Amino acid sequence: MKCAGIDIGSRTIELVVIEADKITYSLKTDTSYDPVSQARGLLKTISYDRILATGYGRALIGSCFDMPTITEIKAHARGAIAVFPDARTVLDIGGQDSKAISLHDTGKVKKFEMNDKCAAGTGKFLEIMAKTLGFDIDDFGKEALLAKNDVNISSMCTVFAESEVVSLIAKGCNRCEIAKGLHNSVIRRATGMINRVSSAGEIVFTGGVAKNSCMCNMLADKLGRRILVPDDPEMVGAFGAALLAGE
Amino acid sequence: MQSEKTDMKIVPLMDDGYDGEPAKRVLNYLHGHKEKGDPIVGIYCGYAPIELIQSMGIVPASLCAFSKIPIEAAETVLPANLCPLIKSSYGFIIEGTCPFFAMSQAIIAETTCDGKKKMFELISEVKSTFVMDLPQVPDQIEAVQNWKKMILKVQKFLEETFDRSTSDEKIETALKASNRKNALMQKIFDYASIKPPVISWQEMYDVAFLAQPSTGQEIIPVLEQLIEKLDMRVKDGIYFGKPDSVRVLVTGCPIGGDATKVFKVIEESGGIVVAPDSCTGMKTFMGRFDENTGDPIAAMADRYLKIPCSCMTPNTKRLEDLSVLIEKFKPDVVIDFVLQACHSYNVESYKVGNHVTNNHLLPFLKIETDYSDGDIGQLKTRIEALFESI
Ligand code: SF4
Ligand code: SF4
Repeated sequence: MKCAGIDIGSRTIELVVIEADKITYSLKTDTSYDPVSQARGLLKTISYDRILATGYGRALIGSCFDMPTITEIKAHARGAIAVFPDARTVLDIGGQDSKAISLHDTGKVKKFEMNDKCAAGTGKFLEIMAKTLGFDIDDFGKEALLAKNDVNISSMCTVFAESEVVSLIAKGCNRCEIAKGLHNSVIRRATGMINRVSSAGEIVFTGGVAKNSCMCNMLADKLGRRILVPDDPEMVGAFGAALLAGE
Repeated sequence: MQSEKTDMKIVPLMDDGYDGEPAKRVLNYLHGHKEKGDPIVGIYCGYAPIELIQSMGIVPASLCAFSKIPIEAAETVLPANLCPLIKSSYGFIIEGTCPFFAMSQAIIAETTCDGKKKMFELISEVKSTFVMDLPQVPDQIEAVQNWKKMILKVQKFLEETFDRSTSDEKIETALKASNRKNALMQKIFDYASIKPPVISWQEMYDVAFLAQPSTGQEIIPVLEQLIEKLDMRVKDGIYFGKPDSVRVLVTGCPIGGDATKVFKVIEESGGIVVAPDSCTGMKTFMGRFDENTGDPIAAMADRYLKIPCSCMTPNTKRLEDLSVLIEKFKPDVVIDFVLQACHSYNVESYKVGNHVTNNHLLPFLKIETDYSDGDIGQLKTRIEALFESI
């Protein structure tokens, strides 16, 4: 049986097809201003027996294409535990939201925390800050790792943090150190969320921000816990949805 | 709302043309009194000694507001990061758009949370306001004595402001009528404990908003009729939601108007609210006044201080009462509703969450929100995820 999962996030849409629990096909595109056409484009490329929609735009896509839906919390939990069966904690930091989830041994969601409605502590925050500092987002983490010290960034709010960064640049601060400070501020948010849902054990890190090596290192240091990153961390939600479609 | 079984539109419980608009219904009630020449006094809280007010022939009007519209006006004076209930209430006042405030000839306020306390100072510049100093450590023996003294002071304030008087007999009568009213209200709420519930959250709100300011004498016949109607529903097999809808107990800050978005999201996500545990829901109708004690003001002080608001410390009674509600209404999940910047309910949520998950083994979710619609998508995700975790 071919099962598919489609994860309509605020920034990107991911589609995964699995057969016998193995990914046979995956594809990603921007959500854009027209998620319905984007999703239609993706869906055209595949055939499937069952499908589940998840993510921020699940209700819209679910009703347009007559698909059942599940929340991204459940999808990420399912996907993460499939990749790392021993883990009981998941951290997902995507384009515009972040969440920490703890799981029962059965794989069921035990507790979860999500960020507030603003972009603080999400991928969007890092993206804007990378731009302000003139870094490519893909190198942002690596560059931050070059810094010996970090500059303390006190604002969590994206708008305020940006002006803080501008004034630090004007003071002549090293841009790698500012970058590290910015990573640290996202880490502070993330660790707060994780500590509210679980206190020990390995953590599966998913979502686009998991590709940032500085984030992974700093998280591991700060929490003293092992951080596990799946090969394709952005696909975990869609993968989880595909698995659940078959169950 | 539809009933699954009969697939017929359910006749609204009160069916008086105001269904789903409890504020308008109360306004109509107040207008009726105003026309008769009865004085009206504004109140802000579940701790206001309503029976004392009623025993003097004065009508209480709740001024807590639940609309996002006046918030912008309020923020010209108040800080933006303040509880929306306070901002909304105050915004209505400075905009001059609150009919309840306009009708109130004086205000009774209580020192509950800091935000309200400081707002009362601003209100007192506009209208005669009596601030009752509410004891906040209710387990101390002095607390009830002090609260009794405060009630006596407010009595004097009302006597002087409205040129009215009362007596122990009149107060005792009002307490007895309230006991009867509250018992009937509890009975009405009990119809939500049936699986599936035969009363909706909207109807519970409709009844609660009207019953709160009404005297026992006025409302008892109405409530008795509603109970007859509810019994008919039970006989006819009418119910709300689906037999397998997720039963939700919502506790926390008062909910009304624009904040009822939470109830709507719960319903859209396949849930049904069976116990609204807040000051706009069941809370003010719980408990009982001791009768024939010879000191009705002390009896009143005692019962009012038992309201388990988060402004009290320690607020152990909230957890005890919550356990009773959980046993009775058999929810599948508990949601704690916290208004943004309400520190006391927000901090207390940690204890509530532990109590619910450890002692009742129920999934728990804290929601922190305001009156805007900006977070509906997020609320949906959280609530659906909570339901998925059952
Ligand atoms: S929640 Fe507390 S402060 Fe608010 S009305 Fe109820 S008792 Fe008063
Ligand atoms: S909800 Fe909280 S902050 Fe708002 S008025 Fe009530 S006690 Fe005060």
